[in-house]
This record gives sequence, structure tokens and C-alpha cells, in this order.
Amino acid sequence: MIRKMFVLLLSATFLLITACSGATNTSGGQTSTPNQSASADKTSGEKIKITWWDYMSPEAMVNALNKVIKDYQDQHPNVEIERTYVPFGDLKNKILLGSAAGQLPDIIWIDNPDHQAFSAAGVLADITEEVKEWGQADQYFEGPWSSTMYKGKNYGIPNSSNNLALFYNKDMLDSAGVKPPTNWDELREAAAKLTKPGVYGIAVAAIRNETATFQFLPFVWQAGSDLTNFNSEGTIEAISLWKEFIDKGYMSQEVLGQDQQAIMMQFVAGSVAMMVNGTWQIPELQKNANFNWDIVVLPSYKQGGTILGGENWAITSTTKHKDVAWDIVKFANQPEYLKEFLLAAGRLPSRKDLIQDPAWQDDKYLKIFADGMAVAKARAYGPEYPKISEAVQEMIQQVLTGYKTPEEAVKEADEKIKPLLK
Amino acid sequence: MAFSKFINKWSGYFFILPGLLFMIFFLVFPIFYNFLLSFQNVTLLNLNGEHAFVGFANYVTIVSDGTFAVSFQNSVIFTFLCIVFQFCIGFALALYFNRKFPGRDFMRSILLLAWMLPTVITATLFKWMMAGDYGVVNYFLQSLGILDKPIYWLTEAKTALYGTIIANIWIGVPFNMVILLAGLQSLPEHLYEAAKIDGAGRFRQFVNITLPLLRPTILILLMLGIIYTFKVFDLVLIMTGGGPVNASTLLPIYAYKLAFTQYDLSLGATVASIMFMILVAIAMVYLWFMRKEEQL
Repeated sequence: MIRKMFVLLLSATFLLITACSGATNTSGGQTSTPNQSASADKTSGEKIKITWWDYMSPEAMVNALNKVIKDYQDQHPNVEIERTYVPFGDLKNKILLGSAAGQLPDIIWIDNPDHQAFSAAGVLADITEEVKEWGQADQYFEGPWSSTMYKGKNYGIPNSSNNLALFYNKDMLDSAGVKPPTNWDELREAAAKLTKPGVYGIAVAAIRNETATFQFLPFVWQAGSDLTNFNSEGTIEAISLWKEFIDKGYMSQEVLGQDQQAIMMQFVAGSVAMMVNGTWQIPELQKNANFNWDIVVLPSYKQGGTILGGENWAITSTTKHKDVAWDIVKFANQPEYLKEFLLAAGRLPSRKDLIQDPAWQDDKYLKIFADGMAVAKARAYGPEYPKISEAVQEMIQQVLTGYKTPEEAVKEADEKIKPLLK
Repeated sequence: MAFSKFINKWSGYFFILPGLLFMIFFLVFPIFYNFLLSFQNVTLLNLNGEHAFVGFANYVTIVSDGTFAVSFQNSVIFTFLCIVFQFCIGFALALYFNRKFPGRDFMRSILLLAWMLPTVITATLFKWMMAGDYGVVNYFLQSLGILDKPIYWLTEAKTALYGTIIANIWIGVPFNMVILLAGLQSLPEHLYEAAKIDGAGRFRQFVNITLPLLRPTILILLMLGIIYTFKVFDLVLIMTGGGPVNASTLLPIYAYKLAFTQYDLSLGATVASIMFMILVAIAMVYLWFMRKEEQL
């Protein structure tokens, strides 16, 4: 018996030793990084390798990015850029793992609601000085720019943007004699008139992830509320509006499990007359919809408003070649390269100068979204935003399933959100 | 002399050394590290910094969080119902396929498909089939007159969990069938012949010969089944994402959300540790049963 105990104890000690030595190795690797960086930059004779992660997969976008990389390498023969595609769903986890293991690339693209969380985590490099020297900050829209800032410091620059608007099936509206809604009352009325057997008047995406928050926040802002005073009349009115759509049968209960792609499919299939969706859906609609459709800005209530999506450029804090990486970011953000990528991606520029380009001003669909950029708000609520969003999603689903009343659910969500806003 | 004695005594240990190292690095260490995380306060914000030791604070937070109780309850219901139905249906099919009839092998391999399909595909198919507005399940039930209005299987708080249970039963039946079938085919034929001569009917043969002889197979099958089912994750994530609200949130989904969407790695590790302890407890029960068996 005693021998058995001894063997057990021995193996436990062994485990402890392995665990501890593993931990010291990692931290040792990280502290040595800055020391190396200074010397590496000066050795100009050697080839500098820059790694880059993004989540762009369609061919046209990849071609646009490869062109940037090729041109940069041609002009800077001593730099080699290695671009890696990481699926959108994996990106955050890969950054987390890379950060823990000290194996991050030099340049990364980040979905803008996550930017502040990663800045606060120390994953991203502070580029305030570089941006000041560059002097183009005032060319950017307020919304996207705010998502790259954390505690007054700059941790990245916006790349592309998108926002939400109301897509409608023109044929259905015409035959029902309904004009595209411009405010909440008209939206209610239109949804009621457009609903008939087999067709729902309206759809929003309320699946239990970030998508639901993304779709819901514009309604909160339109009603004059915000996450900072969540437990207020406006929020209750916004969620009550969604609930009313479901209760009266204008919106399918199915939206609780649908993302933006799923409601898009319902719209294309003709089973939904209006939907709240984003800029990036235009190319697909042009290809697949066999009916007339159009877009209007989201209906307003106490005020108008839409939400900003998109991704930002960032340089990691562990990079050994911050200056080269920054040079590449500047290079890729020259209008001629940026424009090619944005058009291929069906996205909007985050820059005020570029958005005046005919490519966005003369396209009747893109123009709606381009105009929205001036009022689009970013989800810049600090590093705890993922948890805040979780509380909002839970509230939305509690109300829509009838599990709680709007007043109750909003109050509870507010209690969770308050301490997370710093 | 001393050297050969040394070899004799220790050579066995050298042979298991590679396997042992593999186990330590890829099994023991991660589990140990997971427990370590659950006693610290690691989040995204201090990932690369100092981690304070917080004792049982994470466990207290988790247990007092209402979502834990809900997901624990869901996990128990999910595992229990899945195992009961998978086992019963699997056993019935195994008995059926244990007889000889034309096309038997073909049918058997077709049934295995359910188990071989990637979960992503199964989950997406079930999501479509159970859709409230256009799903084929509602279509059949309505055209047969069983339902008068559609059920929103996966977006209704009352039915979401059961929707995922049905999908998981479908996935698990072939596995149960194959294991039980293998067990059935190893049973000696002569026992049944003797029973027949003694005048035992089919039911009597099943209860007095098949069940007792299959006991070890059944035990290991239930044990594996419980472990597999308790950690089902991808199926539910795709079908419902744990929603609506938390109606279909199982413990693995809860752990995933804490660690990878809210970035509270320590809380996620705490839930994973609790799951680990539950599974170890179940394994202990199994070992106890097996030991009793051996003593007989």
C-alpha cells in the first residue's frame, strides 16, 4: 500500500516539474523578443520576412491582395511577405493561441468590434507615433477610427467598412402598394401589408452570437438609447418592436436561429419581403435574385442610425520589424490598391476621400451604404465588449421566446453590462 | 551479474517509456494544465502577464451562475435520453441483423453511414429538416394531420433540446448496433441449441443467455456512450448554438462560450474540469462493475 502511494506521489511531482518548466520556457521566449528586434532591423543585407494573417477568401479579393504584396516586394527586394489565410471563425482563437505561444505574425486583420479587446490584451503594437507622422488620421470616418483607439492610443488603422440597411423585394412592395418605409411606423405598416401565406414581411438575424447584437444595436440607437444607458425606454421600445413582429406573424420565429446569410437565403427564395442586411450581400443578390429589389437606409425613429462593421489593420506587439510592417500597411492603404480590393470585396472605404470616388457615388446601391458611413457607429465599448454582447444576445432571445418581458430582460442585461463598461 | 539483473528488472519499463512520455505530454499535461488554469484568473487581458492564484473562486462563480445549473441539467437530460434510445434502437437493430437474410451486409453498411458522416453535415441537414417554416419534418407531420400548426423545433425553448437529442440519437444508433452485433456474433451457438432442447422460448433465450453473456459488451458500450454523449459539442453548436436563450446549452457549449467568445479562459477551464471530474466518476463506477465481474 505504502509503495503504491509512493509511486503516485512520485508521478505527481514529476508532473509538477514538467508543468513548471513548460511555463518558464514560454515566458523566456517572450522576453527575449524585444532584445532581438533592435539588432534584426539593422542587418539590412539579410532578407526580412514579414508574416501576415487575414480572413479574405474569395478569388477577386485574394488577387487584389496578392497584387499589393507583389508590388511591394518588387520595390523592396529585401522584404519577403508571407500571407496566410485564416478562416474568420478561427482567427480570434488563433490569435489567442499565437499570443500565448509567442508565435504571432507581424501584420493581422481584426474584425473591428474585437480590436479594443486585443489592444487591451497587449497583443497589438501601439502605433500612435507612426500614425501622427503619417498625418492621414483626419481622412478617416469617425466610426471606424474609434474602433482602432483604446485609451487614447492608436492600435491600428481601418481597412474596409460595411454597414446595415433595409433590403426590400420591389415586386412585392409594388403589388401590395407599399412605399419603402422611412420610419418605424411605416415599417410596422409595411411589414403588416407584406405578410401573406408563405411570405413574412420582415426578417432580422437574431441567432445567439455577435450577429444578433450587430443587428439589434441600430434599433437601440434609433430609439435614442445606448449600451451606456441600456435600461431605458429606448431599448425596451426596440426589443418590443422585434417582439411585436414575431407575435403578429410578420417575422418568423425562425430568425432566432438564423444568421445574416440564412435570412439572405430566405429573401432570395421570396419568402421574406424585407430584411436588415449588410453591404457585402449586394454582389450575391445581383447574381441570385430573380426579382426586382432595392435598398433604403434603415428606418428612423427618434433619430436615424446604422451600425458599422468591417476590419482593421494591426501590427502585433511581438513583431521584430515594426517599421517594415508599418511601411507595408501604409503601402497597402494607398488609394489605388485599396480601391481595387474594396470593389472586389463589395465593401466600403473607411476614408472620406476615397468614398467620393465615382465607384461608390454612382452605384445606386453602394451610394446608400456610402451615405450611411457618416452616421454609422462602431461597437467601441472597451475591451469587455464580448461579454457585453453576450448579455445583449441573451436579452434578445429571452424576450423573443417570451421567456421574460422586455422590461425584466433589459433590466437584468443592464445589471450585467454596467460593470463591464469602463 | 548485476547488470543482467538490472536489465531483467528494468527492460520492461524501457519498452513502455515512449508510450508513457506520449501520454504525459498529450494527455496528462493538458489535463493538469487545465486544472491549473481553473485555479487562476487568466483572461484575454492578462494572457501574457501575471496570473494570480484565486483558489476556488472560479468554482464558486461557476456554481452560482444560473447558466451552469441550466447547462448541467441539459447535459444530464441529453446524455440520459440519447443513451437510452441509442441503446434500445441499436440493440433491436443488432438482433435483427444477427439473423441471416439476403442483402443483410449491404443494409448493415448503409446504416453505418449515419455514424460516418461528418457531424457538420448531419447537423446542417437536421437543422433544415427541423426548420419551422420550410422543414420537411413539419411538412410530414402536418400533411399526416398530426400537427395543425408548425412546431419551431430548434427556436422554441421547449423543443430545442429535444431536437438536438433526436439528431444525436440518429448519429449514435449505428455505433451501438455495430458493437452489440459484434458481441452477439461471438456468442457460442451451442448454448442456444441446448436451450432449445430444454424447451426455452425465444424470450427466455434472450433473457437467460444473450443478456448475461453480453454483459461486458453492454457495460463498455454504455460507458463509451456516456463519455461520447456527454461531450457532444459541434452538433449542438451548429443546430442551435445553445439557444434559444440557454435552452440547449450543454456543458461543453457553456465552457466554449466562456473561454472563446467571452475570453474568460479560467472560467472555461473550470467548467471543463468539472466535466472531467464527472466523467472520471462515471469511469470509476464502470471499473467497480468490472472488478465485481472478475471476482465472480
